[in-house]
Amino acid sequence: MKEELIKIEELIGNFDNIEKSDIKDLMQRLFSKLGNRLEKYVGDYPTFIEPVYLEDNVKIGDDVLLGPNVYIGANSEIQDYVEMSNTIIFENVIIGENFKLENCVVAKGSSFKFNNLNMKNSVLIGETKSKDELQSKKF
Amino acid sequence: MPIDKEKEIERIKEVESINLAREEIRDEVIETKKAVEKDNELLANRVHQKFKDNNIKSFDIVGAIGAGKTALLEKIIEKISSQYRTLVICGDITTRVDADRIEKHKAETVQINTGRECALNAYHIHQIIKNKDLNNYDLVFIENVGNLICPSDFILGTDKRLIVVSTTEGEWVVEKHPMLFKMSDIAVINKIDLKERLGTDVDKMISDAKKINLKIEVITTSAKTGENIEKLMNLMGL
Ligand SMILES: Nc1nc2c(ncn2[C@@H]2O[C@H](COP(=O)(O)OP(=O)(O)OP(=O)(O)O)[C@@H](O)[C@H]2O)c(=O)[nH]1
Ligand SMILES: [Mg+2]
Repeated sequence: MKEELIKIEELIGNFDNIEKSDIKDLMQRLFSKLGNRLEKYVGDYPTFIEPVYLEDNVKIGDDVLLGPNVYIGANSEIQDYVEMSNTIIFENVIIGENFKLENCVVAKGSSFKFNNLNMKNSVLIGETKSKDELQSKKF
Repeated sequence: MPIDKEKEIERIKEVESINLAREEIRDEVIETKKAVEKDNELLANRVHQKFKDNNIKSFDIVGAIGAGKTALLEKIIEKISSQYRTLVICGDITTRVDADRIEKHKAETVQINTGRECALNAYHIHQIIKNKDLNNYDLVFIENVGNLICPSDFILGTDKRLIVVSTTEGEWVVEKHPMLFKMSDIAVINKIDLKERLGTDVDKMISDAKKINLKIEVITTSAKTGENIEKLMNLMGL
């Protein structure tokens, strides 16, 4: 699993070439190996559809639905009403209220401090308080 | 919708009672509740269509906490897993206990932990099958979160719904929970091996179930001794 995560992180570092990369295959490969790790989070009782893998100190808000196929890196925060499937969140990320992410990757350290976003098949990066400043790239 | 209204509706949904809605937003709360039910039904229909398109037989198993849903499934799957490619979806508030028990009998499993929700809904099932190649299965079982109340709000899109209660819950358990018996196809009264010891009036349970739902098939079983498991499988068409 670590191996795919490292490769995916490298790929999204080269933001402009993401469409042409083999990110989809890599994500599939990661998800096929993904196990459960559900014990180490802080917060409310979300709904998990396995597999969901949470690194240490992930914060989760109310009424959140995670899975199937979700990886969340250490110290990331998922706010209320968020829903995600087939998605990778790297470490130290903030995901705002009522985000709906399907087949997405969020880069390390990103922080989206606004509500309501619906995204599919995209890489997301940025530190923003509004939807307009969000950097995203479809794949 | 303004955020305070949204919060209020969330709160009402949580306590599941429109009676607690403030007068000014009562209509909206009712509309929201109706919309949720309708969305679930649409999704359940879509789930059922996908199962049918792939020639999959599907069953949703509801029932009291500890009545023996998983134990019965273990018995059934033990007998058929070499014959049918089986997917079992297990719903529980937390843990992977049930899925691990089922997996011992060589069926594929997916565990859903509902956290604070007391029933699975069609959206959960849809999310799972969207990520599976349904060509790979002949049979899907869904074990709902154990309780006799909440699952009546959400159909899941299976061919048949089984309801499991047992002799340990007392002979009044059927008449006290008519809703789920109304919407089930087969009622299983399990732990029949304990009937004498407990003195449970099983005949009353059977006649209550039939009174509530004229069409329901009722069967007594023991997942411990294996009594009537084959008969139950016949009723299920397995
Ligand atoms: N004597 C006897 N015990 C049974 C029978 N069926 C199940 N049990 C026992 O009852 C307990 C609960 O059984 P489960 O199969 O976990 O019940 P469940 O309905 O799946 O429970 P939840 O998923 O927690 O709601 C276990 O200890 C089983 O061994 C039966 O027919 N006879
Ligand atoms: Mg069980």
